[in-house]
Amino acid sequence: MGGLFSERRSLLIGIGATVALVVFLIVVGEEKSLVIGLTQGSAYGMVALGLALIYKSSGVFNFAQGEFGTVALYVLYLLDIKGNYWLAIIGALAAAGLMGFATERLVVRPLFEAPRVILLVATAGVALLAIGVELWFADAQAKPVAKAFSRNDRITVFDVQITDQRLWLIVTLAALAVLLGLFFTRTNLGLAIIGASQEPTATELVGISVRRLSSFTWVLAAVLGGLAAVIAIPDLGSFGPGAMTSNYLIPAFTAAVLGGMTSLPGAFVGGVLIGIIQSVATSAPLFQDGGELAIPGVPSTLIVFVVLLVVLVARPQGLLGKRA
Amino acid sequence: MVPATVEPAATAGRHRPSAAGWGLRGVVWAALAYLVLVFPLGRPATTVILYTTAVCYGIVALSLNVLLGYVGQISLGHQAFVGVGAFTSAYVVTEQGQSFWVGVLAAAAIGGGQALVLGGVSLRVRGLYFALITLSYGLVAQDNIFQIERLTGGGAGQPAPKPQGFETEWRYYYLCVGFLAVVLYLDWRMMRSKSGRALLALRENPRVAATFGINVRLATLFAFVVSGVFAGLGGALIAHNDTFVSPDPWNFNLALVFVIMTVVGGLRSRPGLVIGGAFFALLPYLIEQIPGFDSLLEAIPAPRDLSPLIAPLVIGPLLLIVNLIRFPGGIGQQLRPITRWLAGHRFDLHDRGLKEVQITDVRA
Repeated sequence: MGGLFSERRSLLIGIGATVALVVFLIVVGEEKSLVIGLTQGSAYGMVALGLALIYKSSGVFNFAQGEFGTVALYVLYLLDIKGNYWLAIIGALAAAGLMGFATERLVVRPLFEAPRVILLVATAGVALLAIGVELWFADAQAKPVAKAFSRNDRITVFDVQITDQRLWLIVTLAALAVLLGLFFTRTNLGLAIIGASQEPTATELVGISVRRLSSFTWVLAAVLGGLAAVIAIPDLGSFGPGAMTSNYLIPAFTAAVLGGMTSLPGAFVGGVLIGIIQSVATSAPLFQDGGELAIPGVPSTLIVFVVLLVVLVARPQGLLGKRA
Repeated sequence: MVPATVEPAATAGRHRPSAAGWGLRGVVWAALAYLVLVFPLGRPATTVILYTTAVCYGIVALSLNVLLGYVGQISLGHQAFVGVGAFTSAYVVTEQGQSFWVGVLAAAAIGGGQALVLGGVSLRVRGLYFALITLSYGLVAQDNIFQIERLTGGGAGQPAPKPQGFETEWRYYYLCVGFLAVVLYLDWRMMRSKSGRALLALRENPRVAATFGINVRLATLFAFVVSGVFAGLGGALIAHNDTFVSPDPWNFNLALVFVIMTVVGGLRSRPGLVIGGAFFALLPYLIEQIPGFDSLLEAIPAPRDLSPLIAPLVIGPLLLIVNLIRFPGGIGQQLRPITRWLAGHRFDLHDRGLKEVQITDVRA
């Protein structure tokens, strides 16, 4: 029962479905939405990765995942004014990791035996606390955030310019996919985490500290959340308190659910799928202004809700997962 | 197997307080009645509006408790139910020219109706996944439903005048206290009925409940609808208290504050829930009122002062986390010796009712 090996077949199905969707969209002339969706979906995938990682190792729906990212953004904003951008990025990731560590130690560990719904409420409390502290230390004003790469017209696919920043996001995501895949199948630490998630008692018996692994997983997930934020948000230009929670958390959860909640590759594929569905559906006539039956407001929120509802009602185990 | 709330005193011979005991209890009851009924009379109108909000938050806390406390499902999108109730009543009164009472009824009906539809579709999943669906629905309400200009009056918001005969802030306050009393009574009656005991049974263990012939899905849906009705009612009352509804306040932060005040108040403890709701509604005001609290906040070394508006967002989650880890029964559990004593039982400082009030039996 290797965590990732048994998912290989369903992963192939997922990738096959994605490729079929890509070909279909190109045939019907929606290739622009495809490219936009892919770049947007990569960001969802990265947040979803952290969610799946924590759910896999401790069975918690981590509602603070988005705020790990926002805190990293604030630290990046503070450090970047004063000095080197890349050092600031490292500082931001360190801050996210520290917050993940503190959350695990102070909130998750004391509630180790509590039902999972209680942990969900607790992590939601952590998220609200982070938003409150952000409002307190900064203010409600949006803050600018610098890009790592500023060139915008290096690559053009189907008439859509892909900024270098987006390119960096996609490359980082792909690299992370490979690295994490190797980490969880080839290293002792990775295998120990998989083991602890499947059989905590047996893992303790062979001399591995499940609690220390739990700390490590939370730090890793928080750093991933921070990385997603500092790479994806600069393309929007600015951010405010709770930026990652309001824009990314729910699409990322939907992506993770689509991927079966426990599957890391599933989280990637789910994120990209959500991004594509969103960008295709947003351009549907139903959401265009002036139409008789136009749906008001932000289309993407409604689309994510519908996808989530359909997936959970029709196939609760997710497209790629074994069981929910 | 059904954990009916058997009073320990009922089995061990009922405690009969002496005349002096009843007198003392009467004094405390009178003081409480004074605080709720007479005290607001002497306060300025702007403060009475806050008290009314506190009463409405009590109704919202009771609404969330039906779901979270009785059947162990969590709604992270309750701001949608409360907000839709607020807009429905404002719309019915302002745009349709109906009376306040029709508006409140419509808000309660729409609140129950949307719970019926959402629950009917999504209650196949429970626990974490149901929480996710409600959260996503809350965001849809925020981004889509509250953007329907005919319902919300656009960005300017929808006026919601106070009802005829209750135009002053004080009269409207008493009206809301009356509504709170009705909700408390309904909640109490419901939990004394067969269906109420069925809800408690299925929270303890859905499988065991199912073997006793309880339709788990239907009972959960019933609780969700009751919760929606209460939430719609609370929303309508909040709307007419502010005399105005705008789309802005009904956001995810508010949904979390609702959950926090319910859990901190104490699940399945009616006095605790009302106190929890009132506490969080009044928190910004309390910070200004408690002498020395302001300077205490300013003494915290931070780039900016913690303003009373933001303080609930910082203090609330801290209380929640401490609450979950140290006092899972919330305010209600801490107050239990006093509430039991007021009801005519012997004063027992160690009566925490632990068997009955344990948040940890909310199941995933």
